[in-house]
Order: sequence, then C-alpha cells, then structure tokens
Amino acid sequence: MTTLAVSDVSVSYGVHTALDEVSLVVPSGSVVAVLGPSGCGKTSLLLAIAGLLGIDTGSIAVGSRIVSQPGNDVPPEQRGIGWVPQETSLFPHMSVSDNIGFALSKGRRRSERIDELASLVGLDEMLHRMPDELSGGQAQRVALARALATDPDVVLLDEPFGALDAVLRHSLGREVVSLLRGRDATTLLVTHDREEALDLADLVVVMDAGRVVQVGTPREIYEKPLTPWVASFVGETVDLEGEWQDTALECQACGQREACEGIPDRYGCTGHVATELGSLAASAQGFQPRQGEKVRVVLRPEWLVPQATGVDSRVVTIAYAGHDALVELAVQPSGTRVRARIAAPFLPAVGAPFGIAVRHPALVFPVAPDTAASLETTAQVEDDPASRARSV
Amino acid sequence: MSQALTDTSARPAPAAVSGPGWRVIPALAAVVVVLIPMAYLAIRATEVPWSDVVTIVTASRAGEYALNTVVLGFTVSATVLVAGVAIAVGLSRSRVSRLRWWLVASALPLAMPSYLASYGWLVIWPTLSGFGPSWLLLSAVTIPYVVLPTVAALRSVGGEQERVARTLGRGALQAFLLATWPQIRPAALAGALLAFLYTVSDFGLVAMLRFHTLTWGINAAYSASFDRNQAAVLALLIVLIALVGVLGERRVRGQRRLSLGRLRPVGPALVPWVRRSLFVAMLTPLALGIVVPMAGLISRLVQAETLLAIDPARLAEATGWTVLVAVSAALTATLIALPIAALAAKYRTRLASTIESLGYLSHALPGIVVGLSLVFLTLGTLPVLYQTLAILIFGYTVLFASKSIGATRASIEGVSGTLIRVARTLGETPFGAWRRVTLPLALPGILVGALLVMVATMKELPATLILRPTGTNTLATELWTKTVAVEYAQAAPYAALLVLVAAIPAMFLAATRSEKGEAT
Repeated sequence: MTTLAVSDVSVSYGVHTALDEVSLVVPSGSVVAVLGPSGCGKTSLLLAIAGLLGIDTGSIAVGSRIVSQPGNDVPPEQRGIGWVPQETSLFPHMSVSDNIGFALSKGRRRSERIDELASLVGLDEMLHRMPDELSGGQAQRVALARALATDPDVVLLDEPFGALDAVLRHSLGREVVSLLRGRDATTLLVTHDREEALDLADLVVVMDAGRVVQVGTPREIYEKPLTPWVASFVGETVDLEGEWQDTALECQACGQREACEGIPDRYGCTGHVATELGSLAASAQGFQPRQGEKVRVVLRPEWLVPQATGVDSRVVTIAYAGHDALVELAVQPSGTRVRARIAAPFLPAVGAPFGIAVRHPALVFPVAPDTAASLETTAQVEDDPASRARSV
Repeated sequence: MSQALTDTSARPAPAAVSGPGWRVIPALAAVVVVLIPMAYLAIRATEVPWSDVVTIVTASRAGEYALNTVVLGFTVSATVLVAGVAIAVGLSRSRVSRLRWWLVASALPLAMPSYLASYGWLVIWPTLSGFGPSWLLLSAVTIPYVVLPTVAALRSVGGEQERVARTLGRGALQAFLLATWPQIRPAALAGALLAFLYTVSDFGLVAMLRFHTLTWGINAAYSASFDRNQAAVLALLIVLIALVGVLGERRVRGQRRLSLGRLRPVGPALVPWVRRSLFVAMLTPLALGIVVPMAGLISRLVQAETLLAIDPARLAEATGWTVLVAVSAALTATLIALPIAALAAKYRTRLASTIESLGYLSHALPGIVVGLSLVFLTLGTLPVLYQTLAILIFGYTVLFASKSIGATRASIEGVSGTLIRVARTLGETPFGAWRRVTLPLALPGILVGALLVMVATMKELPATLILRPTGTNTLATELWTKTVAVEYAQAAPYAALLVLVAAIPAMFLAATRSEKGEAT
C-alpha cells in the first residue's frame, strides 16, 4: 500500500537533459504506464526511481519516505523497489532457483519462498535450469519472480516484454499485470508500445524529450490528447484544416456558453468547425479559438463511418490488416485525402464511391504548433506500417 | 530511434552514481610499479655523457644493429601482412570440414618460442645464419598475429557487400579490395604491427642465427664487454623503434571487439585454384615454424648419445624452476592487472584510460630491455635484490602484465551493467554485487590472463638470462646455453620438455577459447 510520488525531477547527462522537471504520482496499488518514443527519458526516470541514477533537482518519495533528493540518495539496495529490466537480466552463472533466491537470505524459508515464487509465475518445473536454457518469455517470468522475492512495495517494469514476439508480448503482459494487481503492488511500466500502455495501465503518462506531456486514463489519452503530437503518438490520425465557427465555447466545466475570456488552457470545450467533411462538432484542445480562426482538425480513422448521405468521396487505396483495413478516401471534388478504419467484412472496392460521416467530436488545435512536435508527427506517420502500405 | 536506444546503454553506467573515486588509487599504484623499470632506464640513459652517446652511435656498430633491426621488422611485418590476409581469406571462405581444427593449427606457431624454431633448424642445418633464415622463421612464427584477428574481422564483415559489388560488375579481386579489405584493414594492420614488435624485441632466434640486431648488440655489450653505457644507449634505441610500432598499432587498431562467432564459411566461395594455393600458403608457416623444427628436435632427441647424456636431476631442476617462476609471475601479474583492468572496464574518464594505456605500454618493451633496466635499478638502488628470484619475477610481471590487463578488462567489461544494477535493487551493496556477480562472471577471463602470462613466462629468454639468480637454470636458459655452445644433443631434452610444459597451459587456453569462439 504505497504511493510513488515523483516531484519536479530533473536529470541531465552533461548538456543532454534526460528528465526535465518530471512530476507524476502512481497511486497505491495501481498500474501506471510511461509511454514515449525511444530516448524520451522514460528509462532514465525508472533508473532514478530505482536509485540507480542520481537526480539534479526535485525529489522521489515512496509512501512517506523520501528516497531521492539531490545529493541525498537512499542507495538502491535499501529502497525495496523491484526492477525488471528489458534486456536479458538473469545472472547467467546461476540456476533459475538461485536467480529467484538472489535477494533471499540463506535458511529453510528460502527454498519454500523460491518454490512459491516459481509457481506464482508458472515455472515450478524449471528451477534447476540455467538461464540459457530458457525461452525469452520464461526468462522474463524468472526476472519478475526474482524482483518480487522480497515483496517490494513498488515494482518497475522497463519494457519487460519488448524483446518478445507480438503474440507472446500481449498475453504475458496481461498475465503479469493481473498478477501484480493481485498483489496490490504499485507498478510503473515503461513502454514505447502504445497498445501495451493503453491495454494494461490504469493511467498513462506520455513523455517526450524528457517532459511529461499528458497524464490520463487510456481513454483520455486516446480520445482527448492534449497536443497533435500525443494524438499521433498514441494512434492513427486524420489531419484536416478547418475554420472555427462559434463565437464562444460550450464549457464543460460550467455547461454554459461563454466567452471564457481570461481562462487559459481550455480542454474539451465544444463548438463547431467547418472542414471539407462539413461542419463538425468539435472540442478545442488547450486554447480558445475565435470565430473564423483557421485551426488544425484531428480525427481518428475509426470516427469516419460510411453513410449514404455523407460527404462524397472515392476509395483510393485499401491497406488491409485482416481484422480491419485503413481505407484511403479522396474527398470530392477537392481530392483531399482522409483515412477511415473499416471492419474487414464491409470493405468497399477501390474506385467505388463512399459517403463519409463523422461520429465523434473532432479535436481542434491551434494551426501553428511548435515545429518539433510537427516534425515528430511526420516521423510517426512515416513509421506506420499502414501508411507505408498506402504509399506503395 | 535504434540509435537513441543504444545511447541509453552506452551512457556511463548508472550503477556508478559517483566517479571512480578511491578505485583510482590501487590502479595508479599498480601502473607505477609496472613503469618503474622503463623510467629508470630513461634516467640511466640520460646519465651517459653526451660525448659517449655520440661515440657509441657513430663508432660502435649501433647504426648497423639499428638498421638490421628495422629492416628485419619491416620485411617480417610486410610478409605476414600479405600472407596472413591471404590465409585468413582462405580459412574463412573454404568449405573445409573441421574449420575449428584448422584455426587451432594456424594459431600453433604462437606457442613456439622463436629460439626453439631456430634451434630445430640448426640441428638439421648447422650452418644456417643471417638475414634470410631469420626473416623466414620470424615470419612463420608471427603470422598468427595477422591470421587470427583477420579471420575474426572477416566473420564480422560477412560477405554481403562483396557479393553486391560482384553483381554491380566488379571482378572477384576488385570486389574484395573495394568492399571487404577496407573493413578488415584495421585488424590486419594491427596484427602486422604486433609482428613488427615481436621481431624487433626478439633475441633468441636472431642471436642463434647470428643476425646482428639491437637485442644482440645489447647482450653483447652487457654480458661480453660489460659496457653498461653502450647497453643503455642501445636499449633506448630499441625502445624508440618499438614505441613507433606501439603508436602505429594504437592508431590503426579498430575499437570494435571481434569474435569468431559461428564457425561456418562467410563471403563468396573461392575458385578452386585460389583455394588450393591458399591451402599451400597456410601449410608453409606450419612447416617452417613447427614441423621442421620439431622434426629436428625429435631426430636429435631419440639418438642414443642424447638419451645416454640426459642428466635427470638437472632436467628436473630446470623444469621445477620453470614452473615455479611461471606460476609466481602469473600470480603477481594478475594481482597487478586486476585494479587497472577493473578501473578501465567500468570508467571511461581520461584518468582511467591514461592509466590503462600506461599499463599496456610495457608490452612494447623487449625482454632484454626490461632485464637490463632492472639490473641498473637494483645495482643503483638496492643491490641486495640484484639477481634474486624476486626481481626475476618482477621482471616477468612488468613484461607480461599487459596480457593479463587485456584479458581481465575484456571479461569485466563483458559483465552487463544491467546485472549489477539488478543485484543492487535486490539488496546488494556495490561490493556485494561485485563479489556475487562481476567476479564469478569475469573469473574465466581472469584465468585466461593468468595462463597467457604463464605461457609467456615459460618461453621468455633474454630477461631470464640477465636476471636469474646465479645457478638457477630454467628450461629456456638451458636450451640457450647448450645451443650457443653448439651442444645440440644436450639441448634436445630441454627443448622437448619446454614444448611439453608450455603445452599444458596452452591447451587450457585453446579449450577456453574454442568454447567461447574468441579471436585473440
């Protein structure tokens, strides 16, 4: 029953800032995923919490005990934090049994505890094997059992399933998280896999370039991203230009239409935006647009659905993914491209007409985001297999 | 993105929250110990009056010795460079069965002390002398320095680019030179420079074949005419030549660590006539450096007059001394190397890498120079130690600590930082993590280092000749004194025992290496 609190923590390696005033709270017994691209500082965050990396500013507290402060670190061996790293981390010169029992002192209780932990992770039969006789998934189970041996209050998982193949990654991920929930362990899971984060965590912390960009439930992160970068990092996006139509916002907080003068950072307050797909219900993300202002409109492909009476378009290409497909559409008559995610049994033919309707409020951002974020967005789209298939 | 991923692991190991701190002190102490003889030699040489230096360099045959040394060094290294690369290509690209066996065979000449090779030839051909035989035999003995790392480099390069070059219209040789050679060049050149160092430092072979290099001159000046000034100046000359070799080696050596990896042919297949000629090229150094000398040795050993003249007591005594000094030297060299290697493996600060480089410096010193400088040192400061067993073992330690530093450092470095961090989060103190994780994982490498020192000590000749206590004879010194007295028959049993005794640690080495598939 321990809350992990990270407050204003900064870490830099020379000129490179790995963590820039990072704050987050992992409520007792919950699973929080830290999601971010490679090099965003998420591994540094984990190392700092484990006590393996000194911090420059801020503090880290486990429960009521402050474990990290600049120049005053509790050494890692006295923190009681379990750590499961990504790489193969089993001691190669020790059997499975000795690996699990590494932290346990000698005595009769030791072997009982090892048996208990081994059966917890489903490896009772393998206690005498050496690490090189295990599969990747088995090795990570041992690493987890080893980290749990001393009943740590906090468990840190650093991309623990990253080296496994996709199917095993998902099943083992779910299994491990439900096991940790069952023990009421406070868990911080670092990953760059958005599906893993959205699927497993109670809360997702999105990080980029050493900063926390957004904290929220998986649904909030996916459906109400705070920036276009978060939107494209956690899922596919459809980007459009638009023009704000209302003079005021429908305020979520007060339920009234008001000008919101002087109230900064308006999230999720609704109005309407004119786009090539017609006038759409929209929510402004972090700013208050003026009437007639050009804005950036972001949709999810699955928010676009076929409707005979919808906006006219033609099917250009279909990126088929088995369960569903990303259908690229040319809006008539301008030819603007948008993508819709269509369930596989209902796929149209290439060249066929397609009426588009939008069944979710569009996300509206200011037109000029900072350059770095927009570059990242491009990179993400390029990386996406579906978009690659489309461009071929 | 993958770049960013590797960056994370390449950062200074986060387990080391602080800098190297107190760990510098034992490493610094160890490296100072290793450097004492060379420092003293420099001091001693500057004490020689300048007029004497001029006389020594001009009037004596110092110039001729230096020229002989340099010419021999260059011809040998050029020969082994060309032939060694060809053999490496043949070894990696022939679909031969028992490839591992061939690799071990091609490494065999390394186990052969140069003077043993020349002894074996002299038995068969007593008038053999001069540049030609010295060049051929030294090339045969040093060629593994090029072959082994080049085979490893060829394996890490693979053959894809070369195949691509072929599909883009290049011929076989051109494709090799354009696509593969630039990538294996650092390994091959570094090997050739090691051969250069070996040749420049060699004493026994050139002395037996009466080719007058600087080592021969030093020995003559020191033991024949007791001209210590001349010996010191010649020693400094040879150090200068060797330093050129060391600096060159550091320049060309790639930073990549190479390993043999999976033992199967890599790269494009060879046309049959090329494969056959490379096969012959591979057998030549084996024939020159091993087969003929061993044949000479055995033929003399089994003659009745040799067998009758064997003095078992003296033979046993020499064997005993050989094993004793080798084991002691391995022990002290490992103790000296451990703090240096542990520091260099975990910290990349300027101080740490300077300490490591200084530790390696001694491998450039010819045995005869270390021997000479320790004589100067003991006579100048602590005459009690002159010609004691302690100073002899100290000499071996200075000469061969670098072998242990290399092996120990690599094995400590091979222990993943993640494992140590895991141990820390599981409740171990830094020292506890070192004891339970780093040490057991690095131990095989540390033992390899000790075995390397042991083999090198058993084979060492010139420093042993100068530093051994009066009346103490090792197998190497007995073989030497009997050979220069042209008592080839009496020398034979010592030569045979030396081969056998040195083969024991060498076999352990070969076993650990082929298990790990390491290159050098």
